[in-house]
Amino acid sequence: MASLMALSMTVAGCAEVQRAAEDVARQSGNPRLAGAIHGAGNVVGSLFPIGYEEESSIGQAIALQVVARYGGVVDQPELVRYVNLVGRAVANTSDRPDIPYRVAILDHESINAFAAPAGYIFVTRGLLRQIKNEAELAAVLGHEIAHVSEKHILDVIQRSKRLAGVTEAGLSYATNNPAAFKGVIDGAVKKLLDEGLDQEKETDADTVGEVFAARVGYDAEAYVGLLTRLRDLKGDDRALFKTHPNFSARIEAVQKTIRTKHLASNGLVLQERFSRMTKRV
Amino acid sequence: MTAPRSFWILLIALWIGLLAWGTEAWAETVYVQAKTAQLRAGKTSLDAVVGNVKFGDALEVVGRDGRWVEVKTSAGARGWIFANKTSTSKPSVGNDTLARLGQSMRGGDASTTTASAGARGLDKASEGYANRAGVSARDREVVDRMTAYQISDQDVEEFMREGGLGEYAK
Repeated sequence: MASLMALSMTVAGCAEVQRAAEDVARQSGNPRLAGAIHGAGNVVGSLFPIGYEEESSIGQAIALQVVARYGGVVDQPELVRYVNLVGRAVANTSDRPDIPYRVAILDHESINAFAAPAGYIFVTRGLLRQIKNEAELAAVLGHEIAHVSEKHILDVIQRSKRLAGVTEAGLSYATNNPAAFKGVIDGAVKKLLDEGLDQEKETDADTVGEVFAARVGYDAEAYVGLLTRLRDLKGDDRALFKTHPNFSARIEAVQKTIRTKHLASNGLVLQERFSRMTKRV
Repeated sequence: MTAPRSFWILLIALWIGLLAWGTEAWAETVYVQAKTAQLRAGKTSLDAVVGNVKFGDALEVVGRDGRWVEVKTSAGARGWIFANKTSTSKPSVGNDTLARLGQSMRGGDASTTTASAGARGLDKASEGYANRAGVSARDREVVDRMTAYQISDQDVEEFMREGGLGEYAK
């Protein structure tokens, strides 16, 4: 407790010392030194993780582009509520249950799903049409929740910012340098929607998401069923998810997780509820 | 030749002390790995709720039976919690100190706002981004509504109960 208090005081203290040093430099007629002190603070600050408030700004900005690129969302309140309930059920016992998660259905026939930081999750109408039961939907949402809980996109943004020499983020960053903020967000959107994350991160999301869905009681084999159907539909060479690893590799990784984590393959599938709630997709 | 009475009293006191120390030292701790969770009087979802715990709370393990763990809170409340809502490793809760330190040094306010407070609508940064990127009013409205979208924990519990999920498994 004492060390936490000391660290908290240091948090406030560092910023105050930095501001005081900047003021002294400015008042003594040395604006270049003041700028250097300010810049040094930014550089040091950029080495620390992004907090939720900043993550939320980034997540909203990326969500705006996802919605714009995919032509809007499905406006069916009952269906949207159902998908969100499944998402919340999985998220509530995920490794990061203390942030709000929201799921929107993109009104698009392609087959895909995305997650932006701070819990903005999207599934396309096309993917929803391929899903046969609630356990499969839970696994897909588990995969996206894992991207958020593991902070995969934030990791990409942190790295790209460092490479670009950008040292600020979030609210202050967007206010001080909106053009650079736009550049960072556009780069993240390109990575997310066009190029795809590292295959390692996608495999990680598959295995972690599978555990999240199984914790709630969904059948662990359900995800294997969905991935196998998608592979049969499109094949490995033309991977349906152009932004993800091929299906065979994903199926193998998920099966390995089921074995090593002893996940239940006799869990719930809830096909009837899924069919009833998604009949108008 | 017999040992003096004081020797035996000292030995018994030492034994009791060691027993108490051992129980404390070996007590297993689990942490709540769910947004919220209920402690129940018994090991089924039909048993009465005797307490509520939240993400990250430390619980002392008293016993285990199948998918349920009997625990004691730091306040002394005792009850059963669904095992899948616990973790043996301590989870990271909310904005950690390092993140706040980083934000402070980058020039933003190291706000005490936590994720659980929840955001409503687009914030200034994303609104500014939407202006620069030429995002349409329709798409802004979509993300605005998405941000404000809320489902209560009670509704999620009811949804899980109806489906027989989690602790409501039949």
